Amino acid sequence: MLESLTNLWADLQGRLLEIVQPLIHRFGLTEFYDDVPAGLETLTLGILQIAVILLIFRPLESLAPAQRWENRKLVRVDVVYTLLNKLGIIPLAIFLILLPLNDELMEFTRTVGFVLPTVEQIIPWLRDKPLLLFLVYFLLYDLAGYIWHRAQHGLPWLWALHSLHHSQRQVSTWTDDRNHVLDDLLFDIYLAIVAILIGVQPGQFVAILLLGRLIEAFSHVNTRFGFGRVLDKVLVDPMFHRTHHALANPAEPHIHDTNFSAVFPIWDIIFRTAHYDYKQRDSGVDDPVADADNGKGFIGQQIAGLVRLGRAIARSFSSRSARPTPAE
Amino acid sequence: MSCARWASLVAGALTSAALFAMPVQALPETAIVLNSDEASMSVVDRQSMTEIERIPVGREPHHLILTPDGKDLVVASTVTNELLFLDPVTARERKRVRNIVDPYQLGYSPDGKWFVTAAYRLNHVDIYEAKDLRLVKRLPLHSLPSHLTFSADSNFVYFTVQGSNQVAALDLVKQEIVWTIDVGEAPAGIHVFPDQKRLLVGLTGEDAAVVVDLATRGVSKRIVTGKGAHNIFKMPADDKRVLITNRVEGSMSIIDLEKLEVVDTIKVAGGPDDVDFSPDGKIAWVTQRWRRRVAAVELSTRRILGTVLVGRSPHGIYINGPHTVSRSVLPPPERSDATAATKR
Repeated sequence: MLESLTNLWADLQGRLLEIVQPLIHRFGLTEFYDDVPAGLETLTLGILQIAVILLIFRPLESLAPAQRWENRKLVRVDVVYTLLNKLGIIPLAIFLILLPLNDELMEFTRTVGFVLPTVEQIIPWLRDKPLLLFLVYFLLYDLAGYIWHRAQHGLPWLWALHSLHHSQRQVSTWTDDRNHVLDDLLFDIYLAIVAILIGVQPGQFVAILLLGRLIEAFSHVNTRFGFGRVLDKVLVDPMFHRTHHALANPAEPHIHDTNFSAVFPIWDIIFRTAHYDYKQRDSGVDDPVADADNGKGFIGQQIAGLVRLGRAIARSFSSRSARPTPAE
Repeated sequence: MSCARWASLVAGALTSAALFAMPVQALPETAIVLNSDEASMSVVDRQSMTEIERIPVGREPHHLILTPDGKDLVVASTVTNELLFLDPVTARERKRVRNIVDPYQLGYSPDGKWFVTAAYRLNHVDIYEAKDLRLVKRLPLHSLPSHLTFSADSNFVYFTVQGSNQVAALDLVKQEIVWTIDVGEAPAGIHVFPDQKRLLVGLTGEDAAVVVDLATRGVSKRIVTGKGAHNIFKMPADDKRVLITNRVEGSMSIIDLEKLEVVDTIKVAGGPDDVDFSPDGKIAWVTQRWRRRVAAVELSTRRILGTVLVGRSPHGIYINGPHTVSRSVLPPPERSDATAATKR
């Protein structure tokens, strides 16, 4: 089944490449020949995800919502984020910005001989088990994501950007991609460093990759539906992640500093940040400045994020003792 | 000519003769295909047209070459910085050599003395002692040094420099880059003419191959082949014709090196890239980068006999036999035996 899907996917990618590569050739962009397959795969995965959102996740939000809203006005801007991301516009911009940096970083580290052993070099037994090896990398990258997410909540200047993701009062399936562009850029730089440290998975199991991304989108779905009290310890579900988006209140000032995992809750369980109480809470941030994002469009939110970042940096310079915590 | 040069030529000739004396009937009917977007190689049964095994190797294996004695097949993994030495018949691993930085393209000098690599992503070329793979010299070559070929006297290595649209000449005696010239958009495959006076260069960013005159160091002829003209391979038992893959056009052109014109074109879709030939020289096996397949093309009829599904982005391919393009020391054409076998 997995193999058939992988083959089907490879055939689809091949056909698309036969359409796209002549265009790359025509416009004289031959230096990007080798990058086109990955870009095309990201785009087709994004289109697939949009299809799943429209055909499954959105109907689920209507059928069994966790929260009932009078209207979905606040959600509209998140649709813009989703389209810009899933259709590859923001990822392409970030790729072009990071390309020289990535090349320099790779050239420097590898030329000086800084090449850490890959997972399969450390555990040769995994060499001929590509599926298992892929899962190991999948887990490691989920852990890397967990660590970054903790930093986003722990470092005031990162929180200044990440609070844009949390400011949404109407968390829905579209909210997954609602991030500040600079936040995305910093995360990609972080991932490039992680890739140098632990490598990237040698094979590609697109079904698993897609499943992972769908779990991330699903975790934001406004629905009561979950995986149940056993499986929700294995995979992140909407109930688990809604707690992470919960509006802080005097009784629970740090409620949003829980449930950081993107796909596997195991990291929250191991690092004692898991919170399973299955309570429904309102979503958003207990900070009027960040909450004001809700009245803004894409550009307005991006500017507001930069202003918050500037203030956070200024505060950290002006007074260490006055540095606010994300929960404040 | 020095005694050492004579000795190396004699050794080369003996090696060639020994390779030609191999009983082709005993060769397993397989092809080894490097899945460059994975960390694996596929072993393909050429008779049943199926992938019979997928063997893990280092990350992003692109190209391969036989050692000068023909006893080992060297597979280069660019991201893992390592060479894998295989039994060319069974594809079983014999040894791994680490710390060969970004070995994208690789080759042994015809005298068997040097092992040279082009680090495509890291913009340099490396010269190693062939006998122990000790790094002798690293030379920067911006940007994207891609394919390489040697002069028959082992004095020069010629590189295509894809990012800067150039061909560069590395003097192996002085161990320095002695000249670079502009040739056209994104040069890739490179082939020395039998007269050793000219080079044929495939321009992947254009639709042609160009002839570079080594005396004048200029482009003397442009031969239109097809969009994305890429890699170049000597035809089996024929020094006068080469085959060039046109990645974007989805075809292969056969160029007559005397007439300097395309004499035939074969359609092969899916980004045709590297080629190797069956032991009887009748079938070209072509990697189709975008279709995750290798295609078997009967050269006499220009017909695709079939394709085999392999791993992602198949690139280098090796077929054990007298007509393989992966031999560092090429046998003289008059010794070829095109009728001895009927294997694919």
